[in-house]
Order: sequence, then structure tokens, then C-alpha cells
Amino acid sequence: MTPAGSLLHASALRKAYGTTPALDGADFSLHAGEVVAVMGPSGSGKSTLLHCLAGIIGPDSGTVHYGNRELTAMSDAERSALRRADFGFVFQFGQLVPELTCLENVALPLRLTGAKRKEAEARSLEWLERLEVDTVAAKRPGEVSGGQGQRVAVARALAGTPRVVFADEPTGALDSLNGERVMTLLTEASRATSAAVVLVTHEARVAAYSDREVVVRDGVAREMVGAV
Amino acid sequence: MSLLRSHAGTDGGRGGERAPTVPAPPGPLATPHTGPARWARDLAMGMRFAAGGGREGWIRTALTAAGVALGVAVLLLGSSVPTLMNSWHGREKARENLGQAHEPRPAGNTVRYASVDTTFRGAPIRGRLVRPDGAHPPIPPGIRHLPGPGRMLVSPALKELLDSPEGALLRDRLDYTVAGVIGDDGLLGPQELTYVAQSATLAAPDGYRIDHFGKSWDPPPMRAPVVLLVIMTCVALMMPVMVFIGTSVRFGNERRERRLAALRLVGADVRMTRRIASGEALFGSLLGLAGGAVLFLGGRQFASVITLWDVNVFPSDVAPGPLAAALIALLVPTAAVLVTLFAQRGVTVEPLGIVRNRPPIRRRLWWRLALPAVGTLLLVPLAWQRPWTDTPLNTIRLAAGSMLLLFGVTALLPWLVDAVVGRLRGGPVPWQLAVRRLQLSSGSATRAVSGITVAVAGAIAIHMLLTGMQAGYTHAYAQSGKLPQLGLWGTSKGWPQTQRALAALRGTTGVTAVRGAIDGLVGPMPLAGRAPARGARATVAVGSCAELRRLARLGSCRDGDTFLTDIPDRDRVIAPGATIDLNAPLAEDDPVAPHPWKIPGTARTARLIAPGHGPGTFSYDLLATPSALDTNRLNGPMTEIKVDFDRATPDAVEHIRNTAARIDPSMNEFSAVDNPHTQQYTSVRNGLFVGAAITLLLIGAGLIISTVEQLYERRRLLSTLDAYGTRRATLGWSVLWQTTLPVVLGLGLALGCGLALGSLLLSMIDSAVIVDWPAVAAMTGIGGGVILFVTVLSLPPLWRMMRPEGLRTE
Repeated sequence: MTPAGSLLHASALRKAYGTTPALDGADFSLHAGEVVAVMGPSGSGKSTLLHCLAGIIGPDSGTVHYGNRELTAMSDAERSALRRADFGFVFQFGQLVPELTCLENVALPLRLTGAKRKEAEARSLEWLERLEVDTVAAKRPGEVSGGQGQRVAVARALAGTPRVVFADEPTGALDSLNGERVMTLLTEASRATSAAVVLVTHEARVAAYSDREVVVRDGVAREMVGAV
Repeated sequence: MSLLRSHAGTDGGRGGERAPTVPAPPGPLATPHTGPARWARDLAMGMRFAAGGGREGWIRTALTAAGVALGVAVLLLGSSVPTLMNSWHGREKARENLGQAHEPRPAGNTVRYASVDTTFRGAPIRGRLVRPDGAHPPIPPGIRHLPGPGRMLVSPALKELLDSPEGALLRDRLDYTVAGVIGDDGLLGPQELTYVAQSATLAAPDGYRIDHFGKSWDPPPMRAPVVLLVIMTCVALMMPVMVFIGTSVRFGNERRERRLAALRLVGADVRMTRRIASGEALFGSLLGLAGGAVLFLGGRQFASVITLWDVNVFPSDVAPGPLAAALIALLVPTAAVLVTLFAQRGVTVEPLGIVRNRPPIRRRLWWRLALPAVGTLLLVPLAWQRPWTDTPLNTIRLAAGSMLLLFGVTALLPWLVDAVVGRLRGGPVPWQLAVRRLQLSSGSATRAVSGITVAVAGAIAIHMLLTGMQAGYTHAYAQSGKLPQLGLWGTSKGWPQTQRALAALRGTTGVTAVRGAIDGLVGPMPLAGRAPARGARATVAVGSCAELRRLARLGSCRDGDTFLTDIPDRDRVIAPGATIDLNAPLAEDDPVAPHPWKIPGTARTARLIAPGHGPGTFSYDLLATPSALDTNRLNGPMTEIKVDFDRATPDAVEHIRNTAARIDPSMNEFSAVDNPHTQQYTSVRNGLFVGAAITLLLIGAGLIISTVEQLYERRRLLSTLDAYGTRRATLGWSVLWQTTLPVVLGLGLALGCGLALGSLLLSMIDSAVIVDWPAVAAMTGIGGGVILFVTVLSLPPLWRMMRPEGLRTE
């Protein structure tokens, strides 16, 4: 059960890879429509925290609640269904499917949830327009720039109108200008759809787009006091 | 140190600007600049990278080596066929001398030698009887001394059969004491059933007198259909192997390219990186060559248990000729280098990554169509030219035409796949992923599938050829096989012996009817000073009235009577009162004196019960009772017996054979009970299936490896899709479609090409075009099985790569 008002709540998460601990009793809370930046140095466990929160991996101990449902008690199939329906993802390198066009990439999550192709592509085109990359709709990811590709990835994350978007270093592979444009579009669009965002980054200027910052160090998440 | 020196040398003059303590740059010899030396250096460097590439590098090298090893093993096996057949024929020549050209006079070093071959439950048994004339008879290979009277030497396989409960009936037939075992030199193969026995009663006219073993004869040249079959089999089986070797050396190509980018960063030029990449492939192919040799040496041990088309050989016979072995040893590594260089075309390895300069390949149709068209143009005139003449030019045209046609299929396939998948739109997500993947890059899948296409097209053509070849035999045996009848014939030793034989056979288990007589050929008396008229021949049957009544309706009959049959095309010299020659020459140069015999003027006409020339019919011109005609005056009289038996009686045929062997072991048999053509057809068909299955498994292995490699390359993407909640089944289906599309298109092309080629080949042997649809279905079924095989085996790695670990970057 999440604490009052929180959409996603994790408590006492522990996760180790072999003998190396990645999370060591991390707590985390996310409210609906909120943008939270998860910061920390390389290897601090921030990506592992994101993966646990999204139900991509299960923690060794601790719990994650999404609304009234405990993610950590769900089966793999149930977590997959939840990710298809309620979550969106943006990764550092976009991870677009190279053989699909940009439009088809954006439509992919919708089609995975059972939407018809034409309907999915019509909605996807709207998102591409919103993110100012509708001109590359028919191109394959290999034919567009890194910034355009990352905006396509943002469109893909938001097209399914998720309640939570997980973004893992979404600007890590972009120059500052493109990075800022992507972050502006991501945060604006998510706010417009009331989607909460968990933003993993190690860059302060990217974290500046968030409502709240959490720092992960040595596997423990701490609220950053005085954050904007 | 040597590396440093080498670099200094490469820097040229810069070395001289350094402090005086730095050694002077070495001369030009230290850094090879010449082409071959540079090639050798770069290839060696690539080989070192392959050997020292850590676990991942070794896995890639091992995959390449495994693929090449399989291919090399098949190549070595294929190139062993000529030497295998030479060894087989060589042993047959060394141990045989039936019908020595100039029969020697009896002497201490001569032996009478006769063939007493038999069949036991469908298995042929080679039997030879010997009776030495003196103390120093010739000895065939594999034997130290001829067996004593009433004793025999047997092959190990025959000994095993005779010692087993299944051999009880055969023991009755081969009523000799086993005195020893024939060595390998005297056997065609380890499974051969053969024996050499001494008979105290063997005498002329049975057998031949010989003074040595070892017959100088060349195996009869292969008939045209067999030549076609051999050429087609070689083309159909070897081409997929070459395709597979080509695929194998490209395993891990993308990762190799990435690693080469690092080399560019430290100064390697583009050509150098390509040579280094070739060196890596060369290392895998050399390991594969060694592995293939080991696999071949291990695999040939199974040769002793395989009998194909009545040929069973020793493992040591399965050895490629030195030239073939040298060519394989040279061409496989060379092919590995060339294929890698070819794969690198259009790819530039830059210091910061790979640049694929190649624009999207627009596959052109004209040259792809030209290949099968030229192949067809070479074959069609051969199909019109009847009968087929087995000239070297025709053989080359046939081989070239077949290869071009089959190779044309592999060239057409990429175009067809591109053309078809390029037009596909929509569909569910797995379908869309597969189609889009193929639209983006269908090269690796198509390359592997082209092997299936060649194998299936070739196998269909071979099957059609086989079916056409066997159709006549099968029809004849289907007709004759309806008659439960066995024919026996042998040199006649007079009517009393024939009568005893008939009686013994009538008393044999399972026999329902027996009829027999002594046959001979008669002719007109030669005119004085003129050669005997050719073609003026008639057949006479001599037997008791009771026996003759089984052949014709005689009316009244007494010993001493003669009858003319109502055969319509009887020679007019066969007439009552005419004098004919009982010792008519059997050949134009047969130096025999005439034995005149006057056909009694009282000879009456008898109506043959079943006139004709087929099974169960007779075509005698004259019928005579023993007192009317002395069979000893005939030239080569033969006892001819037809035995009807009850199919329901177990081993009735074997009981009949046992009785025949007791009467006269040299008696020959003709029967439809063991159709050798059906057995040969079955064994060849089995062989073909085994060959096709092995080939398709090879291709399947190649497909799996390239699919898994592709998945491995995309593991991060797969993890991302998993993060999105993509169902495993979605990606599983996409792998299935991705394999299915090219395979189905390839099989369709193979079907068309195989049927066309098969029809052309059948026309060449003047046979009706018969399509063996079950075989076609089986071949395409195997191809379909490969799809499932590849998909099922690709699923575990797919699911493993869909795990979130792929998202971790630290």
C-alpha cells in the first residue's frame, strides 16, 4: 500500500549483483504528475533503482507498490502487462527498433497493448508532431540524427499515455542543445498528460527540469534538501 | 622489442631525429613492404587476435571452426567416393577369375573354379567352389590355403549369420564344415556374405579351369542415367556445403568489425584491417580444416555398417585422393579469406566506428536470370539429343548446366526475397518486425537459405531421375511379383538327374507345382563350305510325357515321341522330316561340329499352354521325349525348372533354394521374390534422404548460429522491448516469421527448379516425366522442419537476451 498521495512507493530495497551491492535499503516515493530526478555518480545504483521501480527486475528484498498493487509480489507476466499499460520508457540511446520506421517505433507500445495499426499510427503521428519530429516519421532510426531519434523515443514513451515515464539518462548521448530540447519536450509533454517522470541522470542541468531530486549513493536514496 | 623496432621502421626518418641513444632504424627488411609479406604479416596478426581474443573470441572461432569442420568432413567424404570405388573394384578384380580367357590344361597349379552364388532372405551371398587339380593351386587374396574337400572358408559376416539362430536354414544349404575365415583382402566389405568351399564333385562342364586369380577387367562404364545421378548428387550436395562454409566464416563479422575500429585508431589502414579480419577467419577455417579431418576420420568408422547400392566398404577405403585432399586443404582456407574480404566490401572500418558505404543494394534481376537461363540452354539440347551419348563434352555440359541452374536458384533467391518482402505491409507486430527486419537486411538469412534451396532442388531432381530410372523395373516386377514363382536353371547332366531334381522340388515344403525340362538351341544344318545361317534358331525342350504335358496339350504321348508346337513365328526349317543341327553354334565363331538329327516324320503338333516370352509363359518350337532326342548331343543343354510356391508358407523360397543347392549348387535362380532394383532404389533413396537431411541440418545449424548472433547483437534492444512489457511470444513469433519467409520462398524456388531440372534429366534418359510427389513433399517437409528446428533452438537464447541485464551499462 502506497503512503497517502503517492503513486509509486518503494521501501527498503536491496539488490546485489553477485557480491556487489547495488541497492542497500533504498526508499523512494513518486506522486502523480511529479518529475523526480534520481541523481548519483556512476555505479551508485540509480539505474538499478529505476529498474526495480519499473518492475523490470525484482529486488532481493524490500517492496515496491504501484497504487494499491505490490509490484514485488506480481508474476513476470503481470509486471509485463503493467509496463505495457501504465509505464513508458526512454533510454540513453533511444533503443529504437532499427528495422521499423520512426512512426512504427512510436506505434509499437500501442500495438503491443492490442491497438489496431492505423489507429496506433494516427496517435503516434500526433506525438511525433508534438515533439517536432513528424518529418522523420517514414525514416528508419539509422537515417535520423541522435536528437531526432531521442525525441522519437520520448514520443514512443508517451504515446501510450502512461502514468509513469521512466527515463534513464535520456540526454546522455546528446549535445547540450539537443539535450535541453529533449528535456523541455519530455517534461512539457508529460506534464500535459499528467504523467509522472522518474528521471535518472548524473547531470545537474538535466535534473534542473525536475520538481524534486533524489540522490543515490552507495545504494541508498536520499531526498536532496533545497532542490527546486 | 621487435614491435618497437618495427614501429620505428614504419616511422621512417622520424627515428633519426631522436636522441642519439635511440638505435638507428632497421633496414627495409625489418618491415615487410612487399605484397605477399604484408599479407602474411596481417593474416598472422588476425590469427593471433582470433587465438587471443578471450572467451568471446574463442566462442566465435569455435563456431566458425565447427561450421567449417562439418563442411570439410562432407567434402572429404564426397571426394573419397572415387578412391572408395577403386578400392572396391580393385579387390573384386584381385580375387576373381571366372571365365579365364585361355583355359589352361590340368596341372599342379590349376584349379576348377565355379560360381555358386545364392540369396538368403534377400541378402546376396557370393559363393565359389574350388577343386584343385594338383598340389599348388592358385590362392585368392585373403586366404592362406584353399579349404579341404567338404570344407569352406567364410567371411566374418557369413560366419556370424551361420552361427546365429537366423542362419539355420542357410546352414542346410551351405553343407560344408567351416574351416576358417576369409581375411579383409578377400572381401569387398566387412558386411559381405561370401564363402569359398572345396567340392570333391566339381567337374566339367561346371565352372572354369584357371591357373591364377586376378582378372584384368575394367568395371563396365557407368550408364548414362547413373552418370547423371552421380553428377547431380555431387552438385546438389557439394554446393550447400560450400554455401555453409561461406556462411561459417562470416560468423561474428559485425563484432569483428567493431574490434577492427580500435586497430584503425592505432594506425592500421583500411586494407590492413580487411586483411586482419581475413586472418581471423583464416584461423577459424584452419581449425575447422583440422576438425573436419578428425570428424571425417571418426565418421568413416561407420562406413562398415552402411551398405548403399550393394556397396559396403572398409573404413580404410574411405579416403580422398591426394589431389582432392590437397585441393580441400588449400581451397577451404583460401575461400575463408576471400569470403571475408568479399563481406568487407562496401564497409569501411573507421577509427571511431564502422561506416557502411554500401548504398541500399538494388538487386538486379538480369544476371540472376541469366545463370539459370544459360544452364537451361546447355541442358535443353542434351534433352533433345536421343539417345544420350556419354561423351566428355556432354558430361561437362551436363555438369555445367546443372550447376548453373542450381546456382541460378541461389542467385535468384535474394532478389525474390527482396521483391516479396518489399511488397509486404501491415500485419500483427511479430509479422511486422520480421518483415521489416528482412526489408532492412535479408542477406544473412538468404545466404543460409540458399543452401536449403540448392539441396532441395537437387534432391527433387535426383528423385525424379531415380523414379524414372526405376519405373520400368518396378513395373516389370510389379507384374511378375504377382506370380509366386521361382525359376531355376543350370547345366544339364541328363534327363535322370533333371527328373530327380523335379521330384525333390515337388517334395519341398511350400512348393505347389513344379515343371521342368532340358532346353537346348537347335539350328539348320550348315551348308557345305558356307558359314551357318545366323538367326535360324529354335528351342527344343526335352522331358517325359508327364513333364511335357505341363507345357503343352499333347494328346497321346509315349517316350520316343516328338512334337512341334503351335508357336506362330517358328522357323520353317523346323518341320517333320527335316534334319537339323543339335550342336548349333552358339556364336558365329563357335568351333563345333554339327550333330545332325532328323525330326521324325511322325512328329505331331502340340498346343503350348501359355505361349509367350514373359513370366509364366513358354516359347518352345520343339518338344521331345528323352528317348527321341539325346540331350548330350545338344550344345550346352540347360535344365530349366519353374517352381510355384505358397506365399503363406514361411521361408518357402529358402526351402526351395536349399533343395536346389542339394541337387546342384551351381544352379542359377531367377525370381521376382527379391527385387534387387527395389532394394537398390530403397537404399539410394535412403542415402539421398540421409544426405539431404545432413545438408539441411548443416544449413539449419548455420541459420541458428546467424540468428543467435543477430539476437546477441540486438540484446540491448531486446532488453528494451522487454522493459516495454513485450511478450516473449511476440518476439518468438517474429523469429519464426523471419526464418519462415525466406525458407518458404526458397522452397518454392527449389520446387520449380527441381521439377524443371528433373524433367530435363528424365528427357535425357528418354523416360516419361514422372514426379514423385511424396518425395517432393518429404523434401519440402524437411525444409519446413528446419524452420521449426531453427526457431525452437533460437527461443532459449532469445528469452535469455530479453532479460533486464541487457539494460545495465555499468
